[in-house]
Amino acid sequence: MAAIRKSGGVVPYFWQGKLIDPRDDEFAEHLSLQRFRTIENAASEEVSVGWITPADPTGDNFSPEDLDGGIGTWLRFRIDKKSMPMKWLQIHRDAAEKARGKKMSAKERRELKDDLMDQLLPRVLPTITLVDALLFDDRKTVLLFATSKSAKEAFTKLFFETFSIQLEPADPLQSGMRSDISDEFKHTLERINPIRWPNTTLDNAKTRAPITDMPRPAPKVAESSTSDSPEDESPPFEVDEATEAESSTDDMPIEVTPATDTPEDPNADNMEDQQ
Amino acid sequence: MSQTNQGVETHGFLGEEFLTWLWFKWETEGGEFTLPGGRVVGIAIDDFLTFAALTEDETEQTLRRGLPTRTEEARTALRQGHRLRKARLLIAEGERQWTATIDAPSLILGGVKLPEDAEECESEIDRTADRAANWLALHEIVQALYRLFLKDRLMPDYQSTGAEQQANWMAR
Repeated sequence: MAAIRKSGGVVPYFWQGKLIDPRDDEFAEHLSLQRFRTIENAASEEVSVGWITPADPTGDNFSPEDLDGGIGTWLRFRIDKKSMPMKWLQIHRDAAEKARGKKMSAKERRELKDDLMDQLLPRVLPTITLVDALLFDDRKTVLLFATSKSAKEAFTKLFFETFSIQLEPADPLQSGMRSDISDEFKHTLERINPIRWPNTTLDNAKTRAPITDMPRPAPKVAESSTSDSPEDESPPFEVDEATEAESSTDDMPIEVTPATDTPEDPNADNMEDQQ
Repeated sequence: MSQTNQGVETHGFLGEEFLTWLWFKWETEGGEFTLPGGRVVGIAIDDFLTFAALTEDETEQTLRRGLPTRTEEARTALRQGHRLRKARLLIAEGERQWTATIDAPSLILGGVKLPEDAEECESEIDRTADRAANWLALHEIVQALYRLFLKDRLMPDYQSTGAEQQANWMAR
């Protein structure tokens, strides 16, 4: 078993409340209840998310010693996603339209797609993503080694389903509220406004404009996402948010690409072969 | 918007003020900070900076390679009142040195490089333990620096004291 990574991106989370002691067998039992379950032979497009251990990628074994991360607990979860290669659909549709000499109707395209899904999906192997996290129970802190929105959402959901504990990202508000600053400061923190720093390039004299507050940004209105939204077209669980130019492959979750008959994988550049 | 994004939406600016404050402290006081417990860490801004747009319609400005903090573009951005949105930092404590890019609104760390594994590490288990300690140390250093900033920033007279000094530095 290789050592935990030494580079990449990390998202810290806090929690409140009491977590099962990671040294107890009960902790591993909870992980095993939400263990990874394979979709290798599934005949439909689907995603499977569940715990595994660094020593066993199947999710069949949860030995406490496999979770040993020194001063922390080393968690790993696996995300498998099976989806129909769109290129195959396009090729078959083009061939059908060429054979009959005219475009297919929407209904005919849908029927062709359903037929192809039934035929091909059992043969398609899922893409695999492995994501690590380090849990520090005494600090009620967990560090997630993936920065993509989809990985963060999968992790916080899986953590909640496993331990019934909601993780809070260690953003500027939560980091302040969790710190040792006084209650009065915490009260101020909740209501604080940004500083408007003077634009001195506009000053025509030696005097600088005074420092003032500006309105605090309001939370944006929630946007409901549906299966028809364009976001669903983007490859989930694959690519970390590009945070900077120097990001390395270590920023990304570990991914395993099975050999499929997919001619092109749009995420091939992000794959790290584990085999 | 999910509950978990709310702190970034409403208080992301505070992370940007924190990062700009780190730059101010680095340039004016040398970048050495004494943290609770007597830990002494050194901070320097490395070769990557992104300035936050002042409004949603403005363009973000990114400077990379070389010494971006010394460039005229960086000074102009400060004079215009821009905050830092991202920066690559060098963080040192004793023999250990980390590099990390802080995304200020979320305090997420990207492109982290941990210190070299300790020489005593003889197995993968040893290496995991050593790295886990270094990951935690980095997280705690960033959190401790942020707390130092907050203790300054949340003072009732901040605008006439710390902010005034920082504004003078930004206007140079």
